[in-house]
Amino acid sequence: MTGPAPQPQPPRLVSVSLLGVVEHPALGESPYRIDIDGAPYVPAGDGGIVLGLRLGDSAFALRADHAAPGACLVHPDPAARHALTTYACVGNRAEVRTGRAAGAIGAVLGKRGEEGRVIIGFRQHDLAMMRPSDQVSVRGFGQGLRPAQFPAQVTVMNLDPGVLAALPIIAAEPETGGKLTVRVRTVVPGKLAGNGLGRPAAGWDLDLQLPPPGQDGAADVRLGDLVAVTDIDARYNMGYRRGWVTIGIVVHGSSPLPGHGPGMTPILTAPAAVLAVQPDNARHVGLTERGLKLARPEATVTGEPRGGM
Amino acid sequence: MNVTTNSGRLVRQVLTGEVWPPLADRHAYHVGPDGQPFVLPGMGGVTLGVHCGDPATGYASDHLEPGASVRHRDPAANMALQFLTCVGNPVRVESGPAAGQVGHVIGQHAYVLVDFPEPVLAQMSTGDDVSVTACGQGLALADHPAIVVKNCAPELLALLPGGTRPDGTLAVHVAARVPPEAIGAGVGMISEYANTDLMGAYAGLGDDLSLGLERLRIGDVVALADTDHRYGRAHRAGYLTIGVISTGQCMLFGHGPGPSTLLSGPADAFCLVDDPDANLARWLHPAPEAAP
Repeated sequence: MTGPAPQPQPPRLVSVSLLGVVEHPALGESPYRIDIDGAPYVPAGDGGIVLGLRLGDSAFALRADHAAPGACLVHPDPAARHALTTYACVGNRAEVRTGRAAGAIGAVLGKRGEEGRVIIGFRQHDLAMMRPSDQVSVRGFGQGLRPAQFPAQVTVMNLDPGVLAALPIIAAEPETGGKLTVRVRTVVPGKLAGNGLGRPAAGWDLDLQLPPPGQDGAADVRLGDLVAVTDIDARYNMGYRRGWVTIGIVVHGSSPLPGHGPGMTPILTAPAAVLAVQPDNARHVGLTERGLKLARPEATVTGEPRGGM
Repeated sequence: MNVTTNSGRLVRQVLTGEVWPPLADRHAYHVGPDGQPFVLPGMGGVTLGVHCGDPATGYASDHLEPGASVRHRDPAANMALQFLTCVGNPVRVESGPAAGQVGHVIGQHAYVLVDFPEPVLAQMSTGDDVSVTACGQGLALADHPAIVVKNCAPELLALLPGGTRPDGTLAVHVAARVPPEAIGAGVGMISEYANTDLMGAYAGLGDDLSLGLERLRIGDVVALADTDHRYGRAHRAGYLTIGVISTGQCMLFGHGPGPSTLLSGPADAFCLVDDPDANLARWLHPAPEAAP
């Protein structure tokens, strides 16, 4: 053979078929959890199927605990459950295999930690036909993603490459100083990071200890929003590192539990020197049902222009 | 501590446990802050050579648990052991060559952690039975209703310096003040179980990881700023939590030396006194002679 050596190609991603089972909510013998002021409450909405809650709704919309917009998947084997959670990525396609909604198509919109849960968004009429124990397959695809046009120091995680273009991520250009730029709802100081610290970002969400919005809706955070957290490095476990920033997608609602709150699935982490954030509290649009191909196409496209990759 | 309490109305219960072995899995390695793979001892079993008053960090160790790490074999009984045992409670060795020796609880970490004098620890091993005389849950301060007492034996509270001041605040001596950025794994968990890992204390690693906490010692009484541990572990501006450093060096990222919670309430209910000697070693260790 003669001629120049072939350019090294980045390794291709592997697609794996994962099986999840729609979770049934579970409680101990006491129905109560205790809120930050010592008041007992019954945690509604913590896992399983939650109806009527959608991407774009306020993370504080419901009087609920960790409510997620869709169906939570688990697996009866703990190790398989961790693998399901770790390999599933935001934007992955999901398909109901059993039950009345068999054949319905959904998409991964986030993940939760502890024993592990994958949150699947469905169209509401499909979700209404589903029940706990339904089997759902997930096409796990995305871990290892390294977009060639991203700065080398930016770590991408938990993201299906097919959903990148639907997120407000702006390529690193000379006019941005070579930084990758991401539009977010808000920038949260790292000291408000809660449950999820010290845990692996590939399988846990990071709860944000945010107060509810004011009467005028100011400082609200919505499901699907991109949010940046300062001084958090999420490459492996999530923890404090000065000068870093981690960006995630808000995937479940608030919680009365001390140290908990709206949770984000981390998707990008890097030194702030190469990852810029542009907060826009009033007009931000993050992950949407349309971005996940769960909404019917609309006749006219309105809303904020987005950067695309 | 010069303070009025309900200590005369608390229940004392005898609980049992055993020194639990260190645990590992076949994959062995965990991952450090910069992606370093590591295999390091420290959690479970009997950890020698580190006691109250010794540096918390600077060891080739992960989740360093000084002394003996104790659990109960039955899961529900273990939760009772973990919840009801308080810092300062006496622990008697019931089997093995150290039978009859007494140490003291220095905290919880999903194990009850018991400090003994080094010659006693050297005789102990995994599987030794111990008895804990548990007392402290329900302890309350009559003149400080906003402050919740957690995991603190009445005997320890009595030994702490400070107390009720003329202005109505509670004076507490602390060896260090911890900024809210340091709070790591353990946030969001209940404050009667395990402890709060402090980040920013990875001795010898990058400056961008440091929050100036590399000088903490095992047994130090510390104040956690903007932290509410009354009914769990949360960030809350204007609240304060007092804890005692019960675990040391971590390599696992987001983890670090950890305080077990003793007191929590609004910051304006406290008056902090900086005192480098505010350490359990001053009151409890070595103290087998003084134990009942």
